[in-house]
Amino acid sequence: MANEAGMDPGRAEALLRRFEPVIRFTKGEWFYPMDCEPYVDACGLWVTRPGEDAVCVVPPGELTLEKLAQQPDDTTGAVHYLKIPTPEQDEKQGRRARRRAKRSHTNPDWPKESFRAGRGRLARVGYISRLADALFSLVLLARGRVPGGDVEGGRVLYGQFMEKEEHFRYHGHVVRQDGWIVLRYWLFYAFNDWRTNFFGANNHEADWEKVFVYLSESESGELNPEWVAYAAHEETGDDLRRRWDDPELEKIGEHPVAYVCAGSHATRYSRGEYLTELAFPLPRAFAAVRRTARRFWYTTLRQYADEDYAEKAYEAFTIPFVDYGRGDGLSVGPGQDREWDPPRLMNPLPSWASGYRGLWGLYTRDPFEGEDAPAGPMYNRDKTISREWFDPVGWAGLDKVPTRAEELAVVARRRAEIEERRDLLLSEITEKSDRLKALGMDAEATRDQSHLSKIYETETQHIEELSNEVEAMREELSEDEVLDESLRDHAERLRNGERPPARAHIMHAARPVSEQETHAGRVAQLWASVSVAVVLVTLILIVVYQRQHLLSALVFAIVMFAFIEAGFRRRLARFIVSVNVALAIVGALVLLKFFYWQIIALAVIGVGTYILWENLREFGR
Amino acid sequence: MYRQARLLGVLLILQFVAMVGIGVWLFSSIDWDTVVNLSNEPGQVKLHTNDKDTLKAFKRAILFTVYFLAPVILLFLSGLGFVLLRRRGWMLASVAQALTMLACLFFYGASRPWFAYPIIAYCILMILFLNSRSVRAVVHRKRALAGAGSEVAHGE
Repeated sequence: MANEAGMDPGRAEALLRRFEPVIRFTKGEWFYPMDCEPYVDACGLWVTRPGEDAVCVVPPGELTLEKLAQQPDDTTGAVHYLKIPTPEQDEKQGRRARRRAKRSHTNPDWPKESFRAGRGRLARVGYISRLADALFSLVLLARGRVPGGDVEGGRVLYGQFMEKEEHFRYHGHVVRQDGWIVLRYWLFYAFNDWRTNFFGANNHEADWEKVFVYLSESESGELNPEWVAYAAHEETGDDLRRRWDDPELEKIGEHPVAYVCAGSHATRYSRGEYLTELAFPLPRAFAAVRRTARRFWYTTLRQYADEDYAEKAYEAFTIPFVDYGRGDGLSVGPGQDREWDPPRLMNPLPSWASGYRGLWGLYTRDPFEGEDAPAGPMYNRDKTISREWFDPVGWAGLDKVPTRAEELAVVARRRAEIEERRDLLLSEITEKSDRLKALGMDAEATRDQSHLSKIYETETQHIEELSNEVEAMREELSEDEVLDESLRDHAERLRNGERPPARAHIMHAARPVSEQETHAGRVAQLWASVSVAVVLVTLILIVVYQRQHLLSALVFAIVMFAFIEAGFRRRLARFIVSVNVALAIVGALVLLKFFYWQIIALAVIGVGTYILWENLREFGR
Repeated sequence: MYRQARLLGVLLILQFVAMVGIGVWLFSSIDWDTVVNLSNEPGQVKLHTNDKDTLKAFKRAILFTVYFLAPVILLFLSGLGFVLLRRRGWMLASVAQALTMLACLFFYGASRPWFAYPIIAYCILMILFLNSRSVRAVVHRKRALAGAGSEVAHGE
């Protein structure tokens, strides 16, 4: 469990400032990391109880961080949430604020870049995903969503804050866990406007993101940065962290560089555009059929097995969204466009972080939670304590990794353990081998003597059991010896200053989309945008006007659309192969229908001839 | 290494010859004596017949030409590609097989002519051969080498 032992505020702040990240944003970003206090001061606090309308507990303007912490636990199922006052609530103030915000955007001191989407995300996926995307947009209406007007409200509010006092601030918390010192940089944004302004999956009021830096402490007390972990959506585990010497991790002095994606504020290690997939599980029966078909095609028939069979999980159905982490906008951090303001320290733990378990923005009752605001740094939306709070080391998969200072000691301890077990095993093996020999003698002595047959059978059974036991122990011993040897070599390498590859732990690293994919033709983009509508209209026209040739027309239309799509996505060869195989199957069925017995006879003759040929070849040798 | 490619080329040319042969046979089996040209204009043809069998045979020959002209040309080009240029023409050959199969299945649905069956059987064998590992190893060799190159680049 993470704790603050020996971490006084002064030391915590010094450490936080020493390794604070440099954050690079994308052009067109509206919201930057800010202090949460003015946000809370401006918001109203609401509570919604099951089966009841939402009630305003504290009106906007009266809420403070102290008051936020004093919210009592409510009835089961009650949800407390903050709400940004919409401009409509106070029309005059809203209009004035909007005018101020507009003015501030013309101020040369304010970032005024505009966002330009790259290659359409839909051009990167097929028809089914595009159709699902259209359905997803329709379903949003039923799910409950953050309205576009609220984005404007968030923007106005943020404009007011920045006009009053331009600041870029993070919330810092330093803890110790399992030998690590973890520097937690919590970044608070007033709004996540990914869907409205960057064609993303969701919007929500308030956004808490994080960058963690993991330090190890040497015996002399020197602190060394070893790992960093950047949060991106709901990802956790090994893929999330990078070693300090990983070439992918950009650094300016002792400050790691992070690229924040526009709107979603997901944090990435490299600049670029990331394809983020929203996965929906397929119905079980459908998934099983799909899995079997793919296994038959890729594994049994070995068709294009090297290309992508192992890469994708086909149990889920995905809709793609693009995270724009271009890093071409404002840069915040030491020596950058904007410097960090002194952080809001969370050592000792402030009451607003521990006492308020509600949401930090509008609660939309979205069953998928994508449109609901997040809870604070310490909690999940369901009010449980978040893993990154109580187990920041395990959250990034570091729970199995010792610090550099501990490595040799851990290896030594492990070798001692193995040595002890080996000694034990050796003595047991010696003892049991002696017993085995004795039993062998017994068996030999009683063999082929009818009056001792029962003893012989019992002894033989004991021999078999003991023999298996000794075999298993010898195997274990041999494995221990190999393991001990590799630990010895590993310790030697560590002593020589060698380290394992920096990226060995990464299984599925998020990678930006390649340049080649980003620069697709405009015709392909246009087709991706209109294709679903064209396909649907064509299918309807066929059903209405071509009923007498329905099947042929449908097949022809589907093949033509698939052909066009394959051409745009540079998968023509694979498409032709698939069509050919499908046609071959249909053709084979036609032949089977008319020439069933002839085909059976031919097959039998073929097999017979082959066997004859093989036998004659063997005979002739 | 190119034996497979040449064999494929020969098989494609053979398919081309067989299909041209079927076309020629279909046209030659029309009883041209019962067909009259009604047009008096030079260079213009307007055919007419009262014989139902001839009309049927004529329609079949024309349909065959319409359905199979494009795939036959593709077969010839891809066959030449494999014989002369060694590994060019895989895509053409695959498209030709797909078009031939589609034409056969349409033909089969309409009039079920006897020649649809051997063509379907031959196409199935050709599709299997075109997608066999040995043939793909030859025709996709260039692409595979390019892929291996990019892997090395990633590793660096």
